[in-house]
Amino acid sequence: MLYIHQNFYFMQNKLLLPHKWKRIGWIILIPSFVFGLYLIIFGIENVHLNARTFAILDIEILKDTKIFSFISTNISATIAGSLFITGSLLVGFSKEKVEDEFISNLRLTSLLWAVLVNYILLLFAFLFIYGLPFFDVMVYNCFTILIFFIVRFNYVLYRNFKKAGREK
Amino acid sequence: MSYIEILKKPDVKNNLRVERAISNLTQEELAKKISVSRQTINAIESGKYVPSTVLALKIANVFGKHVEDIFMLEKKD
Repeated sequence: MLYIHQNFYFMQNKLLLPHKWKRIGWIILIPSFVFGLYLIIFGIENVHLNARTFAILDIEILKDTKIFSFISTNISATIAGSLFITGSLLVGFSKEKVEDEFISNLRLTSLLWAVLVNYILLLFAFLFIYGLPFFDVMVYNCFTILIFFIVRFNYVLYRNFKKAGREK
Repeated sequence: MSYIEILKKPDVKNNLRVERAISNLTQEELAKKISVSRQTINAIESGKYVPSTVLALKIANVFGKHVEDIFMLEKKD
């Protein structure tokens, strides 16, 4: 006889990656995060990573629109973004070493928290940021949900871990 | 009762720490016995997490007591 709460927690077992992917995720995530920050600070135009790549859709100013063709373009943002997303997905959606109901509960609560915080900030941005900076907001918004989730989840775990360390 | 209050307090008290001390079990040992993480035991004892029925039953089983001897409903209003 399976209890309903166990169904909810077995469902997480099916959806999450094995624990070893967490470490791989961090290895991808941290360099791509640093690279992304570098691109933000120094500008994408100043990092010359050009290559031919396949584009489903490419619309550029003063150029022909290209559909389903190979284009030659600066792919630094592409690399930083894709690696960051991949890394954060691996980190955020892989199991902890010991999976139990508290961890499952914490994971869901952290996701809820992250979505809420992200959209409150985004609403604020919609209301008070205009013009060119708004484009930056849109770009950062791609990544902030995952960041907030990972930070929140690991922060609570760390805080608990520290507390447990002081007890017998 | 405001929304914030509900968020903060689970309405269950427990004397898990006392029971653990009586049986001379560390958090780690208890965690291993019922296959959960040590963090879970700590979170339960600090009142930050209310365990599921199954987990509460398993915990009570370890100490040979009834669930209500270890987990008590807090009287509200």
